[in-house]
Amino acid sequence: MFRNQYDTDVTVWSPQGRLHQVEYAMEAVKQGSACLGLTSKTHAVLCALKRSPNELGSYQEKIMKIDDHMGISIAGLTADARMLAKYMRTEALNHKYVYGTQLQANRLATDLADMHQRCTQSYVRRPYGVGMLIAAHDATGPHLMETSPSGNYFEYVAMAIGARSQSAKTYLEKHYQDFPAASVDDLIKHGLKALSGCITGDKELDVASVSVAIVGAGQAFEEVQGARLQAFLDAIEVEGDAAAPAPAGEPEAPADVPAPMDEGIA
Amino acid sequence: MSSTGAGYDLSATTFSPDGKIFQVEYATKAVENSGTAIGIKCKDGILLAVEKLLLSKLLVPGTNKRVHHVTPRIGVAVTGLTADTRQIVNRARDEAANYKESYGDYISPKLLTERVSNYVHYFTMHGSLRPFGASTLIAGYDDETKEAQLHMVEPSGVSYRYFGCAVGKGRQGAKTEIEKLKVMEMTCRVAMKHVAKILHVLHDEAKDKPFEIEMSWVCEESGFKHAMIDTQLIKDAEKWAKESIEADEMDDDE
Amino acid sequence: MPKRHWPLYLSLALFLRLLLMIGLAPSRSHGAPSQTLMDAPRQRTQSPIVTGTSVIGLKYKDGVMLAADTLASYGSLARYKSVERIRPVGESTLLGASGEYSDFQAIMEMLEDQTQEDRNMDDGFKRAPAEVHSYLRAVMYNRRNKMNPLWNYLLIAGVNPRTGGFFLGSVDHIGTAYEDDILATGFGAHLALPILRRRWRADMEEGEARALLEDCMRVLFYRDCRALNRIQIAKATREGVLVSDPYTIETSWSLAAFAQPKAGADTDGSW
Repeated sequence: MFRNQYDTDVTVWSPQGRLHQVEYAMEAVKQGSACLGLTSKTHAVLCALKRSPNELGSYQEKIMKIDDHMGISIAGLTADARMLAKYMRTEALNHKYVYGTQLQANRLATDLADMHQRCTQSYVRRPYGVGMLIAAHDATGPHLMETSPSGNYFEYVAMAIGARSQSAKTYLEKHYQDFPAASVDDLIKHGLKALSGCITGDKELDVASVSVAIVGAGQAFEEVQGARLQAFLDAIEVEGDAAAPAPAGEPEAPADVPAPMDEGIA
Repeated sequence: MSSTGAGYDLSATTFSPDGKIFQVEYATKAVENSGTAIGIKCKDGILLAVEKLLLSKLLVPGTNKRVHHVTPRIGVAVTGLTADTRQIVNRARDEAANYKESYGDYISPKLLTERVSNYVHYFTMHGSLRPFGASTLIAGYDDETKEAQLHMVEPSGVSYRYFGCAVGKGRQGAKTEIEKLKVMEMTCRVAMKHVAKILHVLHDEAKDKPFEIEMSWVCEESGFKHAMIDTQLIKDAEKWAKESIEADEMDDDE
Repeated sequence: MPKRHWPLYLSLALFLRLLLMIGLAPSRSHGAPSQTLMDAPRQRTQSPIVTGTSVIGLKYKDGVMLAADTLASYGSLARYKSVERIRPVGESTLLGASGEYSDFQAIMEMLEDQTQEDRNMDDGFKRAPAEVHSYLRAVMYNRRNKMNPLWNYLLIAGVNPRTGGFFLGSVDHIGTAYEDDILATGFGAHLALPILRRRWRADMEEGEARALLEDCMRVLFYRDCRALNRIQIAKATREGVLVSDPYTIETSWSLAAFAQPKAGADTDGSW
């Protein structure tokens, strides 16, 4: 019934020194639709692919604003993300009340990651099943950070998470050297091009299913919507050079082999 | 697997018939699989170094830190699950702050080690918790005894004071090299080059992920304060290390 | 049917009887102060005990400057003559305090904890004086809302490590907070501010600023009976913060009014 006897509790180490429950929680992130983020020297951009349960349903929002200088995009269990977003908003607001300035994103990310970690070390709670990209612009410039159920957090120039995010990652790795000097518009276009690799074969990016948000120097966190977003979608169609879309229906990794938690061990 | 515990290895609260707590040993495995951390008591102070494996080239340099300040005179280098290590670092800082509030002075490295050990040990005592997958090297200067000390706390909660220690993937090789080179008899500034070399030698470029070195010291040069070593200085040490490795290989070829 | 623990009920009843007998029955009257131990009004600090007097501060061409004497009084007794009431907070902020000295020490501990945290994080973020000011405002206001105030009037001075802008602000023990180019606490607000208003300019050189503060401190020493002629001056510039060692300011007692205190008696009896 179970893969092994070490994979049902978060508090149990496997003989190899792995935590299977945490690894499974990280699988939940890979089930969520893709989102990505990228930074220049002045701005940070988030792009996400939204899903709807059926044609009569609305799309599940993927990007949430935390404060004027910070927002998140999530992949995985949305309900978990909402809890965490509430925590982040409270922290940001408290900081603003006490210090009169905006909370440093990396410090919030550290606290958030510590919250994730605590769930991996006690029997009482399950790990959070959500991965998060935090885009912010604070006293030390623009930042993009990733948190994961394992309690790890990293700062990136650009990163993609969620289902079929590998092709986006490949795109970002290919182009990341252009990002620091890029304009916000170029950053968004790079983001959308990378994101187009994450959709299944026959679909296309459109205004309804894509979320884009920007934050930067003199630019409060804001979602790019409607006609403005359409303009970017049109532009990338003209420019081409998008990430190769993933073959339809093919999962990223064989489902029965859990990815080693090597992120936790580096 | 012959070494597994046949049901005796599912909880930190279970002893095996031959007196082992398997869960603690498994937690230690997590540390053994991670980047190498080295601590050395040199002639003039303590040197800490960590091999930080980089999982992606999109990472911002310096993110995911492995060496941390605790008090002006104490720093720690950690290895294992980063998320776990952060809890230990947080606790160490809390202990240091509590001590300062109570006694008005900074905590000694020895006492801090003891308190961190107690914390780590607690997690080996309860069925509802799991042991930490992390080892902590504590370097500090004791104002009372006027000496620099190096300690290490293991996942079991055990801690020892060391002249030199190494944990993580390359621990065996590192220990041998430290003894062979008599790194303990060098100054930190000289030793850091050799430590960089040890990390590069032990790193399997074909198999292992690329890495970054983080170093800090508590020594005469830093006024016996815990200070991160400048990235440029580390880069220079790595350059020397790589050249030295190449020279060694040339010698071998001849 | 819930179980009844008769012994418990009995003992409780007996205890209440006992309270009645010694006159500690719960009172239902709301007007007079209640006599019970349970809801007797609780009184916290009503006044400071060991106090420092004025702190004064001004912005000048290259930064911000604070001045304070080194006396901590015990009521009207000049109790401690060598306490430092201006302290650096991190690398770019100064804090000067009048009022309860022990509360100031407690505040310094809170701030030092934060400074250590900033140092520990090692993420390139440096706290600005405006943030220290806002933090202290939050602390003071919160404490006063708990009816347990920290009894200080604080001046916060410094240079923003990010923008290089100068900052001078004050917070009192109930959380009133504001910024200005010149500020003074305690008697300084009455005796030093008029002088500062008359002579202060934004483009003052360091020497001029220092001389102005010394003049103010001298007047304060003459007039304020809780002041001392041993002072410290501190400056925050873009190069960092510096608190001077305590030194004695020169005073002159040869003025006719000082030599013959009764000279003004035929007018209003004042100097």
